[in-house]
Amino acid sequence: MKAVKFSLIGVVIFFILLPLFMMAKYSISDRESIVTGGEYPEPLFPFQPTLQMFGLLWSRGDFLKAGLTSLWVGLLAVAFSLLLGAPTAYALARFRIPGVAILLFLLLSVRLFPDISAVIPVAELLLSRPFSLLPPVILVGLAHTLLALPYTVYIAKGVFESIPRDLEEQAFVLGAPKSRAFLKILTPLALPGLGAAAIYTFFLSWNEFIFAYFLTFQGTETTLPVYLLRILSWSPQKNFISAISVLICIPVIIFTFLVQRHMREGLTAGAVK
Amino acid sequence: MRGSIRISSLLLRLKSNLFTIGFFIPAFLYLFSFFVIILIFLLRFSFSGNQPLLSLFSSAEFGQALWRSFCLMGVGTPLQLVVGLLLALLIQRSFTGVGVARSLFMVPIAIPALVTAIMIDLVFSYPFGPANDLLTGRHAFFPPLLELPVNWSGSEFLSLGLAILGKTWRDMPISMLILLAGLHSIDREQYEAAKTMGATGWQEFKYLTLPLLTPAILTILILRSIENWKEFIFPFVLAPSYPLLGVLIERLYHVEQNPALAASVALGLVILIALTTLLFTAVTKLVRRHLVRV
Repeated sequence: MKAVKFSLIGVVIFFILLPLFMMAKYSISDRESIVTGGEYPEPLFPFQPTLQMFGLLWSRGDFLKAGLTSLWVGLLAVAFSLLLGAPTAYALARFRIPGVAILLFLLLSVRLFPDISAVIPVAELLLSRPFSLLPPVILVGLAHTLLALPYTVYIAKGVFESIPRDLEEQAFVLGAPKSRAFLKILTPLALPGLGAAAIYTFFLSWNEFIFAYFLTFQGTETTLPVYLLRILSWSPQKNFISAISVLICIPVIIFTFLVQRHMREGLTAGAVK
Repeated sequence: MRGSIRISSLLLRLKSNLFTIGFFIPAFLYLFSFFVIILIFLLRFSFSGNQPLLSLFSSAEFGQALWRSFCLMGVGTPLQLVVGLLLALLIQRSFTGVGVARSLFMVPIAIPALVTAIMIDLVFSYPFGPANDLLTGRHAFFPPLLELPVNWSGSEFLSLGLAILGKTWRDMPISMLILLAGLHSIDREQYEAAKTMGATGWQEFKYLTLPLLTPAILTILILRSIENWKEFIFPFVLAPSYPLLGVLIERLYHVEQNPALAASVALGLVILIALTTLLFTAVTKLVRRHLVRV
C-alpha cells in the first residue's frame, strides 16, 4: 500500500516536472538538438548545452523593455490595490457596517464576469479618450488592480483581524484619532501580512495575459507574456521561445515557495464551510 | 418637520461614520463602478441596432464554438475533480517529505498559463517533436505505437484534448487544496471506529471519505465548470483553428473588428455560466437533502 502510494507520488511529480524540464532543456539546447530534420529523435538532453539564447535575449532591447514594463505594471498594481484595499479591509475588520454581507458581495461582483467577457468593455473604455491618453503601463496596471483588489481586501481583512483590538484602543485612550491609530499602530504591525498580499498581486500581474494582451494589442509597449506571444507568431526556434519562458518563470517559482501558505488561503478561502 | 429631523439625524450619523465610509468607499467604488460599466456595456452592445445577440443564435460559427466550449467543460470538469482527489488523497496523511511533495504539487499554478500552453505546443509539435518521436518509436526505450507522426493541431479532437490536458495540469493544485481542506475537516474518530469494525481501505473510502467529502466535491464541480466555460488561453494557443467561445470573442474583436458581436458572445458566456451555476446549486441542494435523510 505504502509502495503504491509513493510510486504514485513519484508519477505525479514526474508529470508536474516534465513540462518544466522540457522548457529548461530547450532553453539550453544547441541547434543540432532541436533541428533534427527527422534523421534522429530529439535527444533527452542537448548534445552541447549552451547559454547562447540567454545571451541573445540579454542583448535584445525589446526583451529588456518588456521585462521592465512587466515590472512597472506589477508595481503599479501592487501600489493601487494596497492603497485602495488596505483601508477597506481595515474598515471591514474593525467597524460595524450595516449590510456588510451585501457590500462584500458587491466587492467581489466584478470577478463574476469571466476575464474574456470583461476584457471587451474594459478595453473599449480604457482605449478611448480620455483614458487612452494615459501610458499603456498605467492602463494595464489599472486593469490588474481590478483583478487583484478583491483578493487584496480579503487577505488584508484577515491580517487586520489577527491584530488585537486593544492596541488601537490604547491609542484612542491616549487621544489618537482613528486615522493616526491606523497609520502609526496598525500599519507597521500589518506590514508582513500586507507584504504577502503585495507579492500575490505582483505575480498575478506578472502572469496575467488576457487584459495585457487586449490593452496593448496595437502598441509596442507590452508585458512579458504578451511579448512571448508576439515572438511566437514569428514561429521562432524552440530554444529561443523556451529561454524567454524560463526567464518569465524563474521569479514566480521562487516566490511561490515563499508565499505558499498565503496562496493556499487565498485559493481556498470560503470554499469549505 | 419630522422629515427634517430624520434627515438631520441621518446626517449626524453619516458624519460620525465619515471615517468608516471614507475608508471603505475607494476600493468599493473602483470595483463596483467597473462592474456597472461592464454590465451596461455588454447589455447595450448586445441589444443595439441590428440585434447582434439574436443573430448569434442562427450563426453556425457560434453554434460550433458553443459545442466546443461545452465539450471542454463536460470533459474537463470531472477530469479535474478526479485528478484533484487523487493528489489530495496522496498527501493527506503526513509522512517524511510531505512538505516537499506539497510544494511540488503547487508548482503548476505558479507557471503562467501562456507558458504552459506554449510548452505543450512544443512537446506536441508536428512532424518532429518529443511526443511524436516517442509514439513512432524513434527512441530505443519506448515501443513504437504509431506508423506516422500525428498532426496534433490539425485535428479538432486532439487539439481540444491538448487544451483540456493543459488546463487540467495547470489547475490541479486548486482542486487538490479544496479537497484537502475537505479531507482535513473529517473527524478522525470516524475512521478509527470504521477500523475497529474491520473496514478495509476501500470500504473506508467508499462509505466514509466519499460521502463526507460531498460538499467539497460539489464546490469543485461548481468552481471548475465556471473556470472551464471561461477558458481562453489554452485553446487560444493549442487549438486556434477550432475556436471555442473565449477564442471566438477574441477573434470577433481583433480580427473582425466587431466589438458589438464580441460583446454579445461575451454576454452569452456570462449567461451560460450563470445558468450552469444555478443548475449545480440546485443539484447541491438536492444532494444535501438526500444526504441528511440517510
